[in-house]
Amino acid sequence: MIQIRGLIKQYGLNPVLRGVDLHVPAGEFVTLVGPNGAGKSTLMRIVATLLKPTAGEVKIGGWLMPQNSGRVRRHIGLVSHQTLLYGDLTAAENLQFFAKLYRLDNSDDRVAEALKRVGLAARQRDAVRTFSRGMMQRLTLARATLHEPDVLLLDEPYTGLDQDASALLDDLLRRESAKGRTILMITHDLVHGLNLCDRVAILSRGKIAQEVASGEVTGAEFLDIYAAQTGRKAGMTKANG
Amino acid sequence: MDKVDTAVSAPSSSGNQFVTAVWAIVWKDLQIEKHTRQTVSLMVMFSLVTVVMFNFALETELDAARNVATGLLWATILLAGTLGLNRSLAIERENQNIDAVLIAPIDRRAVYLAKVISVTIFTLLLEVVLVFVFVIFFNKPFWQPVVLLVLFLGTIGYVAAGVLITSMTMQTRAREVLLPILLMPLVLPLILPAATAVGEMMTVQPDMSIIRSMVSLVAAYDLVILATGLFTYHLVVES
Amino acid sequence: MSLPRLNRWIPIFNWLAAITLVVSLVMNFYYAPTERTMGNVQRIFYFHVGTAWVGAVAFFVALVGGALYLRQKRELWDTIALSSVEIGLVFLTIATAAGSVWGKPAWNTWWLWSPRLTLITVAWLTYAAYFMLRGAIEEHEKRARFAAIYVIVAFVTIIMTYISIRIFRDIHPVVFGGTAEAAQGASEGLQEFEAGLESMKMGITLTVNTVTFTIMYIAWMLNRVRLQYLMDRVDSLKMRVAARLQGGNA
Repeated sequence: MIQIRGLIKQYGLNPVLRGVDLHVPAGEFVTLVGPNGAGKSTLMRIVATLLKPTAGEVKIGGWLMPQNSGRVRRHIGLVSHQTLLYGDLTAAENLQFFAKLYRLDNSDDRVAEALKRVGLAARQRDAVRTFSRGMMQRLTLARATLHEPDVLLLDEPYTGLDQDASALLDDLLRRESAKGRTILMITHDLVHGLNLCDRVAILSRGKIAQEVASGEVTGAEFLDIYAAQTGRKAGMTKANG
Repeated sequence: MDKVDTAVSAPSSSGNQFVTAVWAIVWKDLQIEKHTRQTVSLMVMFSLVTVVMFNFALETELDAARNVATGLLWATILLAGTLGLNRSLAIERENQNIDAVLIAPIDRRAVYLAKVISVTIFTLLLEVVLVFVFVIFFNKPFWQPVVLLVLFLGTIGYVAAGVLITSMTMQTRAREVLLPILLMPLVLPLILPAATAVGEMMTVQPDMSIIRSMVSLVAAYDLVILATGLFTYHLVVES
Repeated sequence: MSLPRLNRWIPIFNWLAAITLVVSLVMNFYYAPTERTMGNVQRIFYFHVGTAWVGAVAFFVALVGGALYLRQKRELWDTIALSSVEIGLVFLTIATAAGSVWGKPAWNTWWLWSPRLTLITVAWLTYAAYFMLRGAIEEHEKRARFAAIYVIVAFVTIIMTYISIRIFRDIHPVVFGGTAEAAQGASEGLQEFEAGLESMKMGITLTVNTVTFTIMYIAWMLNRVRLQYLMDRVDSLKMRVAARLQGGNA
């Protein structure tokens, strides 16, 4: 579904991505981990059609980008560490706005259904500004999946979430994955990275250093691999969480 | 320059698609304004303060104040306008919302046009208040249809340039400070004929030929700047 | 354009500019006849029109540079646009200063807020703000992209200036075209071109001056583009040295 080959992105003379190769088959959940400055966010923005690559090939659903960005956009949904929601609108209005942008049929039903799915039906008339971080993030997920995209992109979705909110998000993401969506997630949180997905790719210094199928290694083993590939200890994560 | 392909479904509906996208964004902006009432009230309050301060500066010289009323009206609109522009485009950057809009399958020109429409609506609302205030304070016939037409056309050109420039300054280090420095010189060729036309209407026997040529200058500016904005906007929001 | 090719042309144009400037000065003072109403003050006119003309050309070149940058994303076009705005601003300043010196005896004031002069001020501010915009953006690509868009929008100001001259009733004399305005200017005793040989000598002097300033513009552009080229090379060398040092430490 997502095919990345020899992807290079340079800012001026400063290379951020130095030839990334990554393949995410349809229906698979792949997590990309890596230290800060490895180029994770840049990679995500390119896949999300928000940034043009300097060189290399990115294909989504067989469409080459950025030439076919317009075609691809209908089929992708993005959850970012920023909420991408309008704080002054209510939860329902936020979703209605995106339903209009995507020209969805029977948008009222879809919005109501999406709000129920993420457990926010009771708060739909409240301004998003008053929501907790966890509620916002669930609403963001509802927004990103409102148009039933084939590809779901998650950029550090766990930023600022407490334990309970994270667990709720885990649950929702598992359900999205079960629906057969292709999911690419970026995180520096190794535990969530490993637990949810089918495969983990480690991005280090602008390249994919290693790919690991999540069933094949234990958490502790993975931390060792990560430390070896990036030269950094994954200090901020609980090894057996 | 690459054309942004909006069509996922049949291309025959692309015109309709464009209108839907514009309407969606305008609806969203109006909805936000309905909830907060911040943009228009901010602009109105700022304008009132400006007008009152100006009257203090002129003290008892009521005649002098009347003579500069036209210029003051435009200056107030321009200054209050930068507030509206900054606020309206800051909303799109608040939670990086613009990203969510940009990955939607819509034409970037629709984003530009929608922002121009909603800020124009806000500025026109401000002008309704200002016309009342100016008629009362300066006892001049600002309610004449020709004046209202010039205000309307002038606002479109001003906002069309403003949305383009503000979308850029929002992405720089200086942000709000940079906007007036860039925008004011760009719109002066618009404001000069607009103010001349309004000033002419304030005379006892307005020369309609002057007004006609001034209005066509304003309209020409509107068209040129709107075309420039529609043509270049995708380069402002994408990298 | 590569550095060696630039290096070949730069001395040629530098010398050409110097020589034509001397020729122009000599012509302005000894070849051109003394104008009847204004006297010797009118000789400023050759500088005024020559520099104003080149200023307009420079801003047009900047527009073209900006448009080409947006199309091809080559840094050379951004450099050309930047250089042209810089030089255009200098020429516009010279033209305004010269006009002001002429205005003192002609209008009995250094400056008038006539529509045309107002719009020139606006054009000056517009292009000065161009540098403010560039200064506020650190990222190379974005700076070039926004500057290119801005320079295109800025040109609208110049077009409006031009149109306004023809529409506003103005005290400023119109030199080229526009009979109504010329008649109006003449009626105010501001500019008189005599018929016959005198007028022809004035015309020739003006042409030579315009050519001189155009050559000077080209010379400055070449120097400025070379300077930017060297600055960029220093930057990239610095980065390589920094990378080498970092590599050595690790």
